[in-house]
Amino acid sequence: MRQAGAYSGILSGGGISGRTGPHLLPLARIKKIMKKSSVDVKMISGEAPLVFSKACELFIEELTKRSWNMTIQGKRRTLHKEDVASAVATTDVFDFLIDLVHPNASGDVELDEEHVEQKQ
Amino acid sequence: MVDEHDKLLPIANVGRIMKQILPPTAKISKEAKVRMQECASEFISFVTGEASDKCHKQNRKTLNGDDICWALASLGFDNYSNAIANYSNKLRDFEREKASASSSVACAAPASQIHEEHVDEAAAGSSNSLIRFHLK
Repeated sequence: MRQAGAYSGILSGGGISGRTGPHLLPLARIKKIMKKSSVDVKMISGEAPLVFSKACELFIEELTKRSWNMTIQGKRRTLHKEDVASAVATTDVFDFLIDLVHPNASGDVELDEEHVEQKQ
Repeated sequence: MVDEHDKLLPIANVGRIMKQILPPTAKISKEAKVRMQECASEFISFVTGEASDKCHKQNRKTLNGDDICWALASLGFDNYSNAIANYSNKLRDFEREKASASSSVACAAPASQIHEEHVDEAAAGSSNSLIRFHLK
């Protein structure tokens, strides 16, 4: 029996987001990304990628919702990467993504710098 | 050679999560999905780094769900941390029940130890690494 299947009872009952359905992210990939993040990461418990899969889902949902707010403000119906960048720039907890979404720091230079200064 | 895709969550999965949270008529550009993939990977690295530091300082070798929960709160993701705490407890209860159920059959590992082998078994074969679960 696949170990993954054994978790089905937990995942379907009392789901965090209140939704049910197939688990959405591959554990092996999550584990690879975790291991790559730091040389100190050697052993990872079995539950850690499962926990992270839920955390990632929540993260993607939040960033998507905030990005969509930017799309709506621009009176558009297609979410573009610029909307993601705007959502990151206007959300404090997403400061760690600023360099990722604004590599050239062009149009919104002043906003980014203000954010960085506030953080420091 | 490192495959770039190994550093990112699959775009189809990421796209599905995005689609589920948006209105049915919303559209998502391919570039936005790619950007979300990158952000999600950065999120994993960021939180893992923080969790790993904690383990290191406490001279522990194995990073567990509690460490991730703590790291989320530490980095400002309090709402995720609370949600994950419930989830992590359920996982542990499940493991404990499973361990006590099998203890009569063979020598079982203590319930408090969730071994990395479990993940390796589940992850064997990248095509089978997706968890699917069904309503009972």
